[in-house]
Amino acid sequence: MKQETKKKNITQELKEMTEIQEKDTYFALLNILEDIEEARIRAVEEKNKTLAVITNFTDGLLVFNKENKLYLINPVAERFLSVNAEEIVNKRPYYLEKFPWFEPVKVFLKDPAKKIFRKEIQINKELTLELSTVSITREQESLGSLIILHDITREKLIEQMKTEFVSLAAHQLRTPLSAIKWTLKMILDGDLGEMTKEQKDFLEKSYVSNERMINLINDLLNVTRIEEGRYLYSPEPVQLEDLTEETIKNYKEEIERKNIKFHFEKPKNKIPALKLDAEKIKLTISNLLDNAVKYTLPGGKIDVSLKSDKEKATFLIKDSGIGIPEDQQKRLFNKFFRGANALRIETDGSGLGLFIAKNIIEAHKGKIGFESEEDKGSTFYFDLPFKAEKY
Amino acid sequence: MLKARSKKILLIEDEELILNLLQRKLEKEGYKVSIARDGKEGLEKMIKNPPDIILLDIVMPRMDGFEVMEEVRKDKNLKMIPIIIISNSGQPVELDRAKKLGARDWLIKTEFDPKEVITKIKQQIG
Repeated sequence: MKQETKKKNITQELKEMTEIQEKDTYFALLNILEDIEEARIRAVEEKNKTLAVITNFTDGLLVFNKENKLYLINPVAERFLSVNAEEIVNKRPYYLEKFPWFEPVKVFLKDPAKKIFRKEIQINKELTLELSTVSITREQESLGSLIILHDITREKLIEQMKTEFVSLAAHQLRTPLSAIKWTLKMILDGDLGEMTKEQKDFLEKSYVSNERMINLINDLLNVTRIEEGRYLYSPEPVQLEDLTEETIKNYKEEIERKNIKFHFEKPKNKIPALKLDAEKIKLTISNLLDNAVKYTLPGGKIDVSLKSDKEKATFLIKDSGIGIPEDQQKRLFNKFFRGANALRIETDGSGLGLFIAKNIIEAHKGKIGFESEEDKGSTFYFDLPFKAEKY
Repeated sequence: MLKARSKKILLIEDEELILNLLQRKLEKEGYKVSIARDGKEGLEKMIKNPPDIILLDIVMPRMDGFEVMEEVRKDKNLKMIPIIIISNSGQPVELDRAKKLGARDWLIKTEFDPKEVITKIKQQIG
């Protein structure tokens, strides 16, 4: 009897153990299913939230999947591009191919390294956009791409209004400045009678001050013309060597006065004629020469040289002047920028000379640059290509 | 100082200030100066009383300097009179156009000084 009871107990125990195990497994499975369901609901919520963000985003958004098919386009992008989502979603983006700006986007879709950052695109007269690309990746694997379209129509308009305002103001200022120049000149020339030396000296100071104002106004007007794209005149074949020599002549006096050792190295082989806006290139050379002379201390050295190869002509000017501090070099070509050490030497200077020079050279499809070390000197150079596509 | 034998200058300029200054200087040099404040008035005066030389502003109301020059070219008597334009901007576009329309020389408003004006006038009519 004892054995039977033992057997019964063992079986009973096993049965209970299995029941407990089944119950545990059952409950464990239930828990797992609940977790999965919760995760699924959360995922759907996240997706809905993201969709809500994209749909209501105030910039235009286009999402491409990793096969470069258009997966999503939001309402703002539809409006910008005058297109309906149904027409182009899930199809290869042939509809977008009609836009000229889609070319670089296509390149980016194929190669995410070729990203686009804030590229200006004019859609029509009333709409200018800024386009940026974003690569969506996870652990170095591409999941797709995002195109962002940002409306900058208003910014462009404000920029235009600002330029017009400066242009207007500068033009208005020219007449009274002219009048002052004229009247002072007449007095200084003795047309209105003899003056004492002291009177003459004082009036000369006025005259020089006025000349500075006139130069600043002219620089401002040049800047507005650059911004409005009205700057370059029709280019004609010119000899760079002649332009350089003519410009140097204007500085001969000051170079001698400052006792600066000046040398102009003419090109070994004659430089072929370049199609240039001669006046503007002269202005550029003048700006560079002006800086070199202004910022080189008496007794210093300035070397100008010209050379050319098959593709381009290069102008180079090296001085032993005060140089440009390294932390200021990045901003050198900015409008109104003047180096701290330059300001100490001469407070006068518009800070527009290099900005204008850079614009002129780049409008000729050339390159301008420099190397400089504070207190040692600077070397400025620009290249002009022989074959430029039309400006 | 030898008086420039009363050569007649017609000064066409809308800005009062510039007009006054130029007129003063030219009369001081001995020239006879008549003035007009816009292109139309200028044309009327040069027809009535042809000057020896014309100083012509470009930017003016009613009729600008370019329009004046185009009218002058059509008249066989008027087009013999030397014209020196007064340019506001000094931009090559403007100066070139004036040259093509027959201007003999130019002055740039913000840059010219009394001596330059007299020199250029003397070059044309002595």
